Amino acid sequence: MAPFPGSGLAKGLAVTLRTMMRKSVTEQYPDAQPELPPRTRGVIGLFEENCTVCMLCARECPDWCIYIDSHKETVPPAAPGGRERSRNVLDRFAIDFSLCMYCGICIEVCPFDALFWSPEFEYAETDIRELTHERDKLREWMWTVLAPPALDAGAEEPKEIAAARKTAEKLAAAQAEPEEGES
Amino acid sequence: MSLAAAQHGFLSPAGVEIAFLLVGLATFGAALVTVTTRQLVHAALWLVVALGGLAVEYLLLTAEFIAWVQVLIYVGSVVVLLLFGLMLTKAPIGRSPDADSGNRWAALAVAVAAAGALVWVVVDAFRTTWIDLKGPAAGSTRVTGESLFQNWVLPFEALSVLLLAALVGAIVLSRKAKADEAFGTSATADTPVALPGEKEGAR
Amino acid sequence: MNDALDVALRLLVVFVVFLTFPLIVGQTEHKVMAHMQGRLGPMYAGGFHGWAQLIADGVKFAQKEDVVPAGADRRVFQLAPAVALLPYLLVLLAIPIGPSEGAVGQVLDAGIFFVLAVMGVGVLGSLMAGWASANKFSLLGGLRTAAQLLAYELPMLLAAASVAMAAGTVSLPGILHAFHWWWLPWQIVGAIVFFVAGLAELQRPPFDMPVADSEIIFGAYTEYTGLRFALFLLAEYAGIIVLCGLTTVLFLGGWHGPWGADGLGWLWTLLKTALLAFVVIWLRVTYPRLREDQLQKLSWTLLVPLSLAQIALTGIVKVVIS
Repeated sequence: MAPFPGSGLAKGLAVTLRTMMRKSVTEQYPDAQPELPPRTRGVIGLFEENCTVCMLCARECPDWCIYIDSHKETVPPAAPGGRERSRNVLDRFAIDFSLCMYCGICIEVCPFDALFWSPEFEYAETDIRELTHERDKLREWMWTVLAPPALDAGAEEPKEIAAARKTAEKLAAAQAEPEEGES
Repeated sequence: MSLAAAQHGFLSPAGVEIAFLLVGLATFGAALVTVTTRQLVHAALWLVVALGGLAVEYLLLTAEFIAWVQVLIYVGSVVVLLLFGLMLTKAPIGRSPDADSGNRWAALAVAVAAAGALVWVVVDAFRTTWIDLKGPAAGSTRVTGESLFQNWVLPFEALSVLLLAALVGAIVLSRKAKADEAFGTSATADTPVALPGEKEGAR
Repeated sequence: MNDALDVALRLLVVFVVFLTFPLIVGQTEHKVMAHMQGRLGPMYAGGFHGWAQLIADGVKFAQKEDVVPAGADRRVFQLAPAVALLPYLLVLLAIPIGPSEGAVGQVLDAGIFFVLAVMGVGVLGSLMAGWASANKFSLLGGLRTAAQLLAYELPMLLAAASVAMAAGTVSLPGILHAFHWWWLPWQIVGAIVFFVAGLAELQRPPFDMPVADSEIIFGAYTEYTGLRFALFLLAEYAGIIVLCGLTTVLFLGGWHGPWGADGLGWLWTLLKTALLAFVVIWLRVTYPRLREDQLQKLSWTLLVPLSLAQIALTGIVKVVIS
C-alpha cells in the first residue's frame, strides 16, 4: 500500500532521474571496438596444421556449411624397410557463413583442436556468395583467437595437461628407478 | 456620438471600414458555403471560417474580449464537438447524397426573417454610432465585464440558469435512455438479478 | 516608419524563436530521453554530441516525397499541418518574457483568452488531418484527439481562470505585474492542473493516446510524409514551448526571481520555461501511456474538481485579503 497518493509516480520519476545521472551503457562501436570475451562466437578460425581431414566437422554440421576437399598422398616410410604411409592432404576447407548458425558443433567435435572460436565479427559482405570463406581467410582468423579464460580456482586440471603431467611423472619415475637400482 | 458621426461619411470610408466590409463579405460567403455544400465535414470547416471571420469583425469593433471568447468557445469547442460527432457518423470524403433537406425553402425563409430582424434591431439600436478608435478601447475586458455585471447582470444570470437547465436536462435525458436500455436488455436476457457490474458484461 | 520597423523586428524575433526553440527542445528530448534510458542518443550529426541531429532530420524530411493518399480529401489534407502549426506561432506573440514593454511580441488586453483560444484552434489541424486522410487509424486518432481536447480544455480554462481571478486581470503582463511569491503555494493546484491538462492537449506522453503508435500507427498523422509531417512534429514541440511558457507566466511568476528582477528578468522566464520543458520530457520517459478511459476519467473526476476547488480557494483568499 502506498504511503501517500502519488508516491508511485514519484518513485518512477526518481528511477528515470537516477538513470540519467548514471553513465550510459552505450558502446560507441565503430569508434571504439567492443571488448569481447574469449570464445565469443564471432567467427570460426581454422588451424590447418591440426586438421587431419577426418570430416567429422563437415558431417556433424547441422547446416552442411563446411566444405572440405582432400586427396591422399603416400609418404615414404619413416624408417628404411618400413611400410609406406598414406596421409590426407587438405585441398579446400571453406565455411559458408551465410548458412552457418554459429552452433559451434564443429568446434566441439573436432578431435584434433583444429577449429576455434574467434571474437572477430566484422566480415559482412555485400554479396551473399562472398560469405563463403576459404582456408586462407579462416587461417587469418586463427590469429585473432584469444587465449581461453583462466580456469576457476580449484577446478580440475585440463585433460591434456593432466595427461602430459602423468606421462612426465611416469617418465621421471622410470628414470629414477634405474638410478635407485644402480645405487 | 453625433459629432463623431458628422465626421464620417459612407462615401469616403477609412481603411478599417473597408477591412470590416471585406471581412464581412468573406464571413457571409463562408456562411453561405457552410449551408450549401454537400460535403459534411467541409461544412463544419467552412463554419470555422465563418466564426473566425466574426471574431475578426469583433476585433475590428475593438471588442477584443468578445473576439477571443468567440474563438475559444465556438472554434475551439463547438466546432470540435461538431467534428467529433461527424467523425462518429463516418462522414464520407466527398459528397453526401443525402446532405439535403426538403425543408430548405422553409429554412431559407426562417433564416432571412431572422437575419432581417437582427439587422433591423442593430440598425435601429445604433444607427449612426461610430466607435472612436483613437480613445480607450470600448470593448476591453474591463469595460465588457463592468457593463455585463452592472447593467446586464439579470439577463446574464437568466442565461446562466437557462444553460444550467439545458445541461441538467441533457444529463437526465441521456441517463434515462441508458437506464431504459439496460432494463430492456436485462429483461430479454432473462437474468433475474442484474448487478451493476454484471450489466456491462451482459451487454 | 519606426513603428513598422518595430513591428517587423518583433515579428522576426518571434519567428526566429518559433523556429529555433522547438528544435532545442527536440534535441534536449533526444539527449535527455536517451540518458534516462541509459543510452547516449544522437552522437554524430554536427560533430559534438550530435547537436545538429534535428537539422539533419529536417533536411531528410525536406527530401522526402510529399504523398497525398488517393482517397484523401486533398485540400483539407494539405491544409491541416498549417492549421496545426500557425496557432502556436500566434500564441508565442503574446507571451511576455520580461517586465519591459519591449519584452513581449504584442500586449493583448485579453491575453489568457487569446492564448487558450488560439491553442484550441491548433487541435483543429489534427482533426482535419484525421478525417481527410481516408484512413481508419487516422480517423480513430482524430476522434481521440477531439475527445481529449473536449475533456481537457475545461480544467485548463478553469485553472487559468483561477490565476486571472487572483490577479484581477486577464492580460498576461498584467498577471505578472500582480504576482507575489506566495502565489506559488496558493495556486499550486491550479498550476498542476493547468500543466497536466496542457500536456494532454498537446498529446504528449503519457497522454498520447491519439497518436498511440502501437495501436493506431500515428493517429491522425499516419498518412503524412515529408515536410507536412515535419510541420506536425514542429507543432508538437512549439506546443511544448508555448505550454511551458504559459505555465511559467501564469503560475511560476515569469520574470520574477529571488534576485536580478530588473534587467535579467527574461533570463528567469527562459530558465523556468526550460525547466518545465525538461519536466515534460521527464514525464514522457517515466510514465506509460494512459488508456483512453483512464484519460477521460483523470480529466473529469480529478482535474475538473481540483480546478473548481482551486477557484473556490482563490475566491476565498481573494475576499479575505481585500
